[in-house]
Amino acid sequence: MQLTDNIAALRNLSALVDFANLINSSLDLSFTLNNILFTCFGKFQTTKGVILLAGSGGVLELKAAKGFSNQALEEFPSVKIDEYDSDNALAEFKSKNRLNFCRDFNSSNGLKGYILLGERLSKKEYTPEDYDFLNTILNIGATAIDNSLIVTELKELNRELDAKVNQLSSLFDLSKEFSGILKVEMIGKLLLYSIIGQLMVSKYAVITCRQGAFTLLENKFPPDKLNPVLSGTDLLAITSVLKKEEINKDLESFAELGVDLIVPMQIKGNTKGLIMLGQRLAGQAYSKSDIEYIASVGSLAIISIENALLFQETLEKQKLEKDLETARNIQKNLLPKSVPKLNSFEIAAFNNSARQVGGDYYDLVPLSKEELLFAIGDVSGKGVPAALLMANVQAFLKSICKQKMPLNLASNFINDLVSENTTNGSFITFFWGVLNDATRELTYVNAGHNPPLLIRNNEIKKLRTGGMILGVMATVIPYNSETLQLEKGDLLICFTDGITEAMDPDFKEFSDEKLEEMALNMNGGNPSDILNKIMEEVKIFTKGAEQSDDITLIVIKVN
Amino acid sequence: MADFNVSARGVGSVNVLELKGYLDAHTAPELEKAFNKLIDDKSFNVVVNFKDLNYISSAGLGVFMAYVETMRENKGDIKFSNMKENVFNIFDLLGFPVLYEFYKDETEALEKFKVQ
Repeated sequence: MQLTDNIAALRNLSALVDFANLINSSLDLSFTLNNILFTCFGKFQTTKGVILLAGSGGVLELKAAKGFSNQALEEFPSVKIDEYDSDNALAEFKSKNRLNFCRDFNSSNGLKGYILLGERLSKKEYTPEDYDFLNTILNIGATAIDNSLIVTELKELNRELDAKVNQLSSLFDLSKEFSGILKVEMIGKLLLYSIIGQLMVSKYAVITCRQGAFTLLENKFPPDKLNPVLSGTDLLAITSVLKKEEINKDLESFAELGVDLIVPMQIKGNTKGLIMLGQRLAGQAYSKSDIEYIASVGSLAIISIENALLFQETLEKQKLEKDLETARNIQKNLLPKSVPKLNSFEIAAFNNSARQVGGDYYDLVPLSKEELLFAIGDVSGKGVPAALLMANVQAFLKSICKQKMPLNLASNFINDLVSENTTNGSFITFFWGVLNDATRELTYVNAGHNPPLLIRNNEIKKLRTGGMILGVMATVIPYNSETLQLEKGDLLICFTDGITEAMDPDFKEFSDEKLEEMALNMNGGNPSDILNKIMEEVKIFTKGAEQSDDITLIVIKVN
Repeated sequence: MADFNVSARGVGSVNVLELKGYLDAHTAPELEKAFNKLIDDKSFNVVVNFKDLNYISSAGLGVFMAYVETMRENKGDIKFSNMKENVFNIFDLLGFPVLYEFYKDETEALEKFKVQ
């Protein structure tokens, strides 16, 4: 009897020595756990066993199992380690699989987990010696498990670290690359590749929001479905990362498209674009670190995108400005290049547009040896539309001059032509007159223009005879003309409202009164001097405020 | 500037892309061009031979992600072969082995297409 006992003790001992040697030779957790199970199976003649270890959040994880079908393992419930004794699902799992021989096992830092073993093939109960043996095994095993757990954890940390290093090197790579690219499409592509490559995603969209509109730089969601969803959403209001749960809750239409993550791309806290990603192909959720990576790449990209867009805009603006400069030259060429020399009249003229091109117009056209036509006009509005209409009027005027028509009839005619060509209520205030160099006669028609000032003997006569402004409607009431006999010393000042309405920094106007007062105080001097004096005065008055309207001035002196 | 080169050759019904040098954000467009050409030619069976590729960045990986679906939707695939260890480590780190097939050498990858 004693001999049998001794043999049994010896067998136990040698099994223990074998076991101790074996499991301390490896740092692989599953190797260690499998060996604990196999040793128990061999010793107790049992065929079923599992080892549960506390994982993240204290939830027991099935780390090793032997003798179970996959289906049986799937039924293992989720149990927290501190609910081990009280959990019904676990109790049911245990009883269903007849896992009656259970032991907790501990390491230096507390409870680690449990080992559950099934019934013995012999159907015999486990004896107190069996308990002792199991305890010994678990004591030896605990250190090995601890070690392998630490190694596993280190491996995991190492991998995470590698992933982080990889992300950082991607970021570095991209920051170098982005800074050199000025094509938005290219930036969008690289941004995307860096994200989908890093996170394994195949459904994605990169959207930029600018001036109330969005642009899809890249998209793999169905466009016919995505576009209405985007149009119907205030994209700029998305100012923080939205994860799947939030999208499901608040942005149902996005969730339906399969959007799992939305990361805004921001500059100074303002959303300028969005990165939308679908499910990751390997099924994992987006981790905090993944989202940080996406956000970092996104901010790098959006700054580059913004720069690229600004660069393009600047280029376009430069091109537009070049075009306008060309237009300005064309327009300058439409105005008289020189002032005709006459015996009885001396003429000076000036024109300056507030913008590159303007709507003011003046002209000096010799009609015959004796006769000179002069005209001044102001097209409503400013800039390109006004300039186009001004060019139109200039063309009409040049053709009408060839017709040798009396000025009043010519006025009817030019109004009809202008009326046909104006839309949206644009109009032209217009004054024209014909000077006769032989007789010193002036015949004029004023179509709603600021009345030119005729100064004779310190008195002003305003030249008002004419009719309606040009371009409002076809001529119904014919225009009247007036003919005046001019005398030596007479001064005629024609101007546009750019002079009288020139404003100082306090928005006070130069005014008709001031111009008239100046006109009366012009004692002699030739027309260019007078013109320069008026312009000088306007300049002093505005105190450097920006010229807000086109300015045209014609000064005629009778010799 | 790091060099990158991609060359394509046909082996039966499969196209082999040989990559050389450094595949990063800067050189990714080259690879993209090669894939676009394959799609234009309706060649959806692709083996990428990494024999001479020394480095790959996320942007480089992204190109494979961007094209694999198109290939698979057209009953083709992108398979990888002859990868150096440092390059494979990056693919492995980001979980690519779940979705792509990796082979030690090109012939093995080509064989797989024949079987299918």
